[in-house]
Amino acid sequence: MVVLFGYTSDQKAIGIAKDQLKAHLLAVRLYRDQIPVVMGSYGKILRGTGRYLKLAFKPLLYVIVPITLLMVQIDRYLGQTPIPVNAPFLLTVHVGGQMTGNDTLNNVALELPPEIAMTAPAVHVPSENQIVWRLAGSKDGKYEVKITGAGKSVEKAVCLGSGLPRISTVRLRGQFWERMFSSAEPALPENSPIESISVNYPDRDIDVAGYGMNWIWLFFILSMVAGFIFKEVLGIQI
Amino acid sequence: MKRLRGVDTFVRLLRSSIRRRLCTPFADTRVRATRLLLIAIVLSPALAHAYAGPGAGFAVLSSFWAIFVAFLYSFYALMTWPFRQLFRFLRRRNAYGKATFERAVILGFDGMDPELADRFMKEGRLPNLAKLRDKGTFSKLRTTFPAISPVAWSTFMTGVNPGKHNIYDFLACDRNSYLPYLSSAEIKGPKRHIKIGKYSIPFGKTEIKAMRKGTPFWHWLGNAGIFSSVIRVPVTFPPEKFQGVLLSGMCVPDLKGSQGTFCLCTTRASDDKFREGGVRVPIERKNGVCRSYVPGPDNPVKRNAGDVRMEFELKPEVESKQARFTVGSEKFTLKIGEYSEWITAEFKAGMGFTAHGICRFYLKEISPEVEVYVTPVNIDPGHPDLPISHPVTYSIYLAKLFGPYATLGLAEDTWALNEHVLDDDAFLAQAYGNHEDRERMLFDALDKTKQGLCTCVFDTTDRIQHMFWRYLDEDHPAARDVPHSEHPQVIQDLYQRMDRLIGRVMEKIDDDTLLMVISDHGFKSFARCMNLNAWLHQNGYLALKDDKTESGDWFEDVDWSRTRAYTMGLNGLYLNIKGREKQGIVDPSEVEALKAELQKGLNGLVDPASGTVGITGVFIADNVYRGPYTENSPDLIVGYGAGYRASWDSVMGKVTGQIFEDNMKAWSGDHCIDPRLVPGVLFSSHKFIEEKPAIVDVAPTILKLFGLALPAHFDGKAWTLAAKAR
Repeated sequence: MVVLFGYTSDQKAIGIAKDQLKAHLLAVRLYRDQIPVVMGSYGKILRGTGRYLKLAFKPLLYVIVPITLLMVQIDRYLGQTPIPVNAPFLLTVHVGGQMTGNDTLNNVALELPPEIAMTAPAVHVPSENQIVWRLAGSKDGKYEVKITGAGKSVEKAVCLGSGLPRISTVRLRGQFWERMFSSAEPALPENSPIESISVNYPDRDIDVAGYGMNWIWLFFILSMVAGFIFKEVLGIQI
Repeated sequence: MKRLRGVDTFVRLLRSSIRRRLCTPFADTRVRATRLLLIAIVLSPALAHAYAGPGAGFAVLSSFWAIFVAFLYSFYALMTWPFRQLFRFLRRRNAYGKATFERAVILGFDGMDPELADRFMKEGRLPNLAKLRDKGTFSKLRTTFPAISPVAWSTFMTGVNPGKHNIYDFLACDRNSYLPYLSSAEIKGPKRHIKIGKYSIPFGKTEIKAMRKGTPFWHWLGNAGIFSSVIRVPVTFPPEKFQGVLLSGMCVPDLKGSQGTFCLCTTRASDDKFREGGVRVPIERKNGVCRSYVPGPDNPVKRNAGDVRMEFELKPEVESKQARFTVGSEKFTLKIGEYSEWITAEFKAGMGFTAHGICRFYLKEISPEVEVYVTPVNIDPGHPDLPISHPVTYSIYLAKLFGPYATLGLAEDTWALNEHVLDDDAFLAQAYGNHEDRERMLFDALDKTKQGLCTCVFDTTDRIQHMFWRYLDEDHPAARDVPHSEHPQVIQDLYQRMDRLIGRVMEKIDDDTLLMVISDHGFKSFARCMNLNAWLHQNGYLALKDDKTESGDWFEDVDWSRTRAYTMGLNGLYLNIKGREKQGIVDPSEVEALKAELQKGLNGLVDPASGTVGITGVFIADNVYRGPYTENSPDLIVGYGAGYRASWDSVMGKVTGQIFEDNMKAWSGDHCIDPRLVPGVLFSSHKFIEEKPAIVDVAPTILKLFGLALPAHFDGKAWTLAAKAR
C-alpha cells in the first residue's frame, strides 16, 4: 500500500507540504513573543493542513479500492468467531416480495442437520417480515441449514466450534454492494421469496497484552508501524 | 535547470495543473463518476471502512497531529503570554521607549564599490539607490586595516578595531609551526575515543571554539529586549546565543571541514592536482554506465580509512545530450550545462555514524569524455551536523520553508571558476541561485521582524566582482584571450539586480524603519600579483635552505635560523621574533628598527614592468590596532596599490623567483589592498550628519538609535541624524 501510495501521489508536493507545515510549527516556537507572527503561523498551519490533506486525497482514491477489498476479506476471518458448541445462537430469516404477513411466515420451514438443534420455537415478527429461530450446535464443523418458503429451498452455512474459519454472517438476495462488504456466500436466487438469512456470530476480540480489541484497531496500529518502516525503507513520502 | 522552490511556485504550478485538468472536455463526467464512486464507498456501512490503509491513516493523523501540536502550543503561548510579557516588561522596561525607529534594516552588500555605485547612479541605472542618496545618505564608508571581509564584518558587528575582536585575515599564523589556521573558528573532534580493533569510536561532543572576540551589537539589543534577525553576516560561526535568530555566514565550513572543496568527476586520466579548493575523482565507465563518488569527511570511526564516500552513477544519453543520475535514493536527469537541485548526501562511516550534507551536480560533458562537477558538500541545513544557526532550529526552519540552501561560508565556488572547471555561465548560475535563496530568507525575516533589527549580508556582490572584474578592465591580463562581448555587463547587471532588491525592500518598510545599505569595502582591479616573500628573499630578510632560489608552499624550504621576516595570508607581514616564533632570531630590541626598515623599503615599491607603485602604504600594527589581542596580529600590514595584490603563491607561504607577475586567473578584482583605496558604501533612508563615516561606527549608531547606552570599549562613534530625518 505504501508503494501504491508512492506511485499514485505527487511525492514532491507532499514533501513540500509537510516541510511547510513543519516550518510554520517551528515559526511558532522561534517567534513566540511576537503574537502577530504566531497567529499568522497558525493560519498557515491550517491552510497547510488543508493542502496536505488535499494532496493525500488522490492516492487515497487509488488505495481505498484494494485496501477495502482486502479488509473485507480479513473481516471474514477475524471479524467474528464461530458459534461455540452448545451455545445458543439466532438464525434470522427476512422474507420479502409477495410473501408478507403472519400467514406467509407460517409457511417458511427450517430444516436442520443432526448436529444443530432448535432450542426454542420460532418467533415471528410480522411487522418486520422476519422469523427468528434460536438454535444450538452439538459438534464442531461447518453445516448447512435449509430454509424453505413458497416451495423453494435455500441454504445458509453455519460454523460451529472454534478456529479461524471464513465466516459469512449473512446471505442476501440482490443488494450487490451490501453483499460485497458483508456476505461471503453466493447471492440467494432472485426468484426466492427469502431476502436474507443471517446468523448472529459473536464478535471476535483479539487479546493484546490482556486487553481484548477488534482486529481493526490492531490492523490500524500494525499497518501504521509497517508504514513508518516501509516509507523509510522505500523512501516514500506519506 | 529551473529550480522549483518555494511555496508560491509550487502553488502556482499546482493551480495551473488543476485548471488544465478541469478544462479537458470530459472533466465533468469524470469528476461526477469519481464523486459517485466515492459516495458509494463511503456510505457502505461496513466496519472495514473505518480505516483505509496507512496512507490515509498517516495523512489524517499527521494533519491532526500538526493542528493538535500547534493549538496545544498556541494555547500555552496565549495563556502564558501576558505573564511573559509582564516579566519582560519588568526586566527590560520599555525596550523601544527611547528608540528613534521601530526597526532597523541593514543590508550588507559585500564589496559594493562606492565609485561604481556612483557611476551607475549617474547613468540612471540604480534608481532605488539614487532615491536613498537623494532622501537620506550616500557616502563612502571607511573600512578596516586590512580591507578584508572577515575583518571588516567583525568590526561592523562588534564596533571595535581588530585588536579587540582578534580577526586580522581569513588565516592566522601559528608561531610555532609557521603554518596557517582558520582565524575565525577552531573545530576539534571529540577528545575521547574507544578503540575496538580497527575502529576508534569517538565519544563526546565536537568542540567548536569561536576565535572572534567582542560582542556583536545584536547581543546588546537582545539584552534590552530588542529582537534581531541576523542572516549570513560573516564570522558568526559558531553561532552565539542571544535574543533573536541568526544564520551563520562566511567561515562556515563544508562537510569536509574545509572552506569549500569541489569535486570534478571525470573519465579523463590526469595526475594534475588543483592548486586549491578541489579534487579530481575518476569516473569508471562500464556497459554505458558511469560510476564515481563524491568524497566526504574523513572516516571518524575507522582509523586510517581515508574519507567516507558517497557513490553515484550516471547513464549518458548522447543523442539527447543528457544523463540520468542515481544518487542514493534520488534519481534525476540533467542536460549538459545544467545544475541539479540540492541533493541530499549521506556519508555512512559505519557503526551508525552518518554525516549529512547537500550538494549540487553539474553535467559538463558526456561525449567522448564524461565530466561532472559537484559543489562542495554543504552542511545540510535541515539536518545540521554542526550548529550553523541560533537557535539550531532556525536553519531547519528555513530549510523546511524554502528547501535546502547553501550553508557554506564561501558558497560561490570561485576556485572552480579559477581552475576552469566551471565556466562563466555556470558560475553565475550558481552564484545567483544562492543569491535568490538569501533574498527569500531576507523577505521572510522582514515579515517576521516588524520591530527590532533585521540584517542580512549578500556575498554575491563580492564574488561576482572578484571573478568578473576582467570584463570591466579592458587591459586586464586575464581578459586578453577572452572575447569582451561574452559578459561585458556582468558587474553592471549585478549592481542593477541589487538595486531592484533595494526597491522591493523599500516597498516593505515605512518611515518608522531605518534602512541602511552598507559594504565592508570597495573593489579594484587585480591585474598584477606581488610575491612579498620573493621580495623579502631577494632583499635578505628571508633565507632559503641550501641556497635554493625558491620554496614550496608553507615555507617548505625556508631556513628559519636566518629568516627575519615572512608573510602569509593576504596583507600581514610577520617578523621572526626570538621568544615569540619557535625559531625566532630577531631580538625584541631590534624589532622596532626592523619594522621601520621594512616599512621604508616596501612603501612606494615600484613595479619595474609598468613603473606603477605596487605598494602605497605599509602600516605598523601597533599604530593601527589597540586592544587585548594585538599580540596575535601581524607586525606590519601591507597596503598594495590599485591593480596589485599579494600573489597566489605568496598567500600560501611560497617563495618564487619573481616578485611581480601578471594575474591570469578569473579572480581578477580584489580589495585586499591599501584600505584607503577601497572604502565601502553607506546608503541610508534617513540622513546622517557625518563627514567620514566608518564601518566601526555602525554598531554604536544602531545602539544609539534604539536608545541604548554605548559600551565604553567601543571604538566607533554614533552618527547623528539630521534634524529633518528624526
